[in-house]
Amino acid sequence: MNSCPRCQSEQSACRVEHEGRDAQGELVWTVYYCTACSFTWRDSEPEESIVYAKRDAFSRVDLNKQYPVVMPPPNRD
Amino acid sequence: MGTNQTAAIKDVSLSDNALKVAQRIGSLRDFLDFLAEHGQCITWPEAVLPEPDIRDIAVAAGRDAMNGPALLFDDIKGYPGKRLALGVHGSFTNLALLLGHPKGTTIKELFYDIISRWGSDKPLLERVPMDQAPIHENRIDSNFNLYDLLPLYRINEYDGGFYIGKANVVSRDPHDPDNFGKQNVGIYRIQPQGKDIFTLLSVPAHDMGRMIIAAEKDDKPLKIAVMLGNHPAMAMFAATPIGYDESEFAYASQMMGSPLRLTDSGNGMDILADSEIVIEAELIHGSRQYEGPFGEFPGSYSGVRMAPQFKVTGISHRDNPIFENIYIGKGWTEHDTLIGLNTSAPIYAKLKEDFPEVEAVNALYQHGLTGIISVKNRFSGFAKSVAMRALGTPHGLMYLKNLIMVDDDVDPFDLNQVMWALSTRTRADDIIVVPNMPMIIIDPAAEVPGKGHRLIIDATSFMPPDKVGADAQIVSPPGGPKIDALAKVIQALQQEQQGGQS
Repeated sequence: MNSCPRCQSEQSACRVEHEGRDAQGELVWTVYYCTACSFTWRDSEPEESIVYAKRDAFSRVDLNKQYPVVMPPPNRD
Repeated sequence: MGTNQTAAIKDVSLSDNALKVAQRIGSLRDFLDFLAEHGQCITWPEAVLPEPDIRDIAVAAGRDAMNGPALLFDDIKGYPGKRLALGVHGSFTNLALLLGHPKGTTIKELFYDIISRWGSDKPLLERVPMDQAPIHENRIDSNFNLYDLLPLYRINEYDGGFYIGKANVVSRDPHDPDNFGKQNVGIYRIQPQGKDIFTLLSVPAHDMGRMIIAAEKDDKPLKIAVMLGNHPAMAMFAATPIGYDESEFAYASQMMGSPLRLTDSGNGMDILADSEIVIEAELIHGSRQYEGPFGEFPGSYSGVRMAPQFKVTGISHRDNPIFENIYIGKGWTEHDTLIGLNTSAPIYAKLKEDFPEVEAVNALYQHGLTGIISVKNRFSGFAKSVAMRALGTPHGLMYLKNLIMVDDDVDPFDLNQVMWALSTRTRADDIIVVPNMPMIIIDPAAEVPGKGHRLIIDATSFMPPDKVGADAQIVSPPGGPKIDALAKVIQALQQEQQGGQS
């Protein structure tokens, strides 16, 4: 895992959430989470889901873009 | 069971078999056992990867909307010992069995059964002390990890995360937290955003949305309990639009005709005592995080939005719990079966108050984005007036986008009959387009998210004073219960004689 498959943030922005192991304790897969765009993925998934170049363009996140806010919180300023 | 409960059960006028089933099923586990006895729940025999195996199998099972089975996975690679149930409400036969009907029950029969239960006001709720409630067999108060607790997986390939799609979320009005009636139970999509954080998608029109807005505006805490793996009546009826001050627990129990057992969650909510897993959480005020996309029920991905976040504060679960989830996507899916009839029934009930001529409502399609209403046409244009009223029902306000009006002798659940009406009754100018109406934000046909046009197609008979087509003499083939019964006899004979030849 070198970067986020959705927003291409660097590895330092991604953290390990969980390691799935079999009954004997052998590692089967690892779940990652991107703190920049909130994407979650498992390294055992098909490449269409977890390789940036193979993901459909609509499914990528541009961190420079403003996304709609659901029920914007009140402004406390 | 006490005397009061027996009396209340009689009030909903259930058949003996419906009562028997209602009394037997007290939890998801009971229902899965019951379905398995009828060949309607299968345990997947091989080990599966979370992706793409679970999605593939769920889609395949969902192809048979009438008879597809529930699926139980107990060998998921990387999740030894974890159990996952899908498709529990994935076919009309599963719903029929839950309501005490045999296999072969038609959708129209189920619709009228739900209508017959509608209006009961005798909630059947029992209290169970926390120390006797199965849900509290195991308790976690720290070091939460949702990815470890639940066998999570990606439902559709471009989802933003591993969604929880079939949770019943309990919340209380932040301004009136002691009011049981204002306790909301709804199904909202949940996206884990870390080991102990998740986003929950709601909109201002939802009860939950109203509560989030109120809590943040007045700086009140908003606690919730996320129930997973619930009594099948709860999952089935909690999505029904009812009044803000009506209890979904009460509603589900009276519709099912059997008691629902409630207990307290660790954070003061009422929860089902026999649910599999309950996650307690609290709104993080002012916090929004990327949520989505998610393959939603219109069959398209919702966009990415910034949604409210909740922090986990406690978890209870049964021994060897079952995580129940759902496949949602391009129809037909479990979502359509789960909520279709309970979308149709309240629209029918509201219309019937003003127009007794309404015969049936079929709003099965994508949560009622398309609805078919059969009505006894009193005079020319009457059906259009009924349609306009339907747009003003609570569900119609946001969802009923395409309405097809048919005569009372057309079964709106039989699409062959509906197509006959469209083919022979509809004139090109017999439609109404109502522009710039409210619309759900995830409808891909909206002009802009939240706003779009409505369509009414009048496929009812020509009536005076309309002279066009007045000379059409409609053939009246035999119909009604006698022909319905004969159709079932023919089906049974087919199966019997096929069996005899094999």
